[in-house]
Amino acid sequence: MQVTPPRSLRELFAGFLAIGARSFGGVMPWAHRTMVEERRWMTQADFAETIGLCQFLPGPNIGNASIVLGKRWFGLAGSIVAALGLYALPFIWVLALAALYSEYAAQPTVRALVTGVGAAGAGLFIGTAVKLGRALARKPAALVLIAATFLAIAIGRLSLLFVMPAALLVAYLAARRGLL
Amino acid sequence: MIVEIALYFAALSCIAFGGLPSVVPEMQRYVVDVQGWVSADDFIHLFAIAQAAPGPNILFAGLVGWKLAGLPGALVALGAICTPAAVISWWVSGLWEKYKEAPRRIALQRAMAPLVVGLIFSGGFVIATPGPVPDWRLWLIAGAAAVAMLASKINPLWFLGAGGALGVILLS
Repeated sequence: MQVTPPRSLRELFAGFLAIGARSFGGVMPWAHRTMVEERRWMTQADFAETIGLCQFLPGPNIGNASIVLGKRWFGLAGSIVAALGLYALPFIWVLALAALYSEYAAQPTVRALVTGVGAAGAGLFIGTAVKLGRALARKPAALVLIAATFLAIAIGRLSLLFVMPAALLVAYLAARRGLL
Repeated sequence: MIVEIALYFAALSCIAFGGLPSVVPEMQRYVVDVQGWVSADDFIHLFAIAQAAPGPNILFAGLVGWKLAGLPGALVALGAICTPAAVISWWVSGLWEKYKEAPRRIALQRAMAPLVVGLIFSGGFVIATPGPVPDWRLWLIAGAAAVAMLASKINPLWFLGAGGALGVILLS
């Protein structure tokens, strides 16, 4: 497949704006569609590799992808422009929704509806965790670490700032011994 | 308060492996339980709004800032949760080719996987359990959404919509 990276900052901005504007229900499918299928900025393999890198990094995957790709194509200016393009419209959207909600927040029906949406959103997290967890289910050490993390954070309510470094060290040692 | 939230979110940004879902339980603990800046009900409502809006779900952090200090709060909170991770991304992406196949990097990635799964489970659990006593109706909606998501490939917005409808039926 013939790929042509964006030729100008303006084109880069427009592409990421298009991703952000349409990404109801999850950004990643729209990022793929915009950059690989419609604009042909990169190949499928390149996209998968970039997302692989971004999953390894802390922070939002797609936000990190905007930084990494912007840098690759236009340096620092590219990173800034891509990130701004990505966040601009969703930021306005989310604040508009929040303002709308504030108007009606006193109504019990509205509160019940929004709480229901939140609970369903929590369910999507649980579904995601199950999906990711399936790949690890055959490794007993992984199951122990999943359970320990859950107990420490969700039940014990310990601070992630302490749990993360400690758990990462234990998990890293386990991984080096071939347990993960 | 805005300075505190900026510093705290910036620290979370550096350890947010797995993105927003991994740090949601910690955000809830800090802004609801420790500081009392946001009520447990408001937290789940802000989360719902962020999930229903388009865009990266990290925008939820911006909404928390908005609740605390309006538009400046939103900009500062979103900037704080994104910038340190962006700087790390900028820096690490240059090293990626060199270390992609390094055994230590691969071990680190394998180490992260179960922690991220445990944290995303925790995020779901904490959001669906806003009070000290679990509410079976919220667990039912969350469980139904999880099962529906695993069983189908349709846009997850449909499950959020269905969750809202169930909320109106069960909660009001």
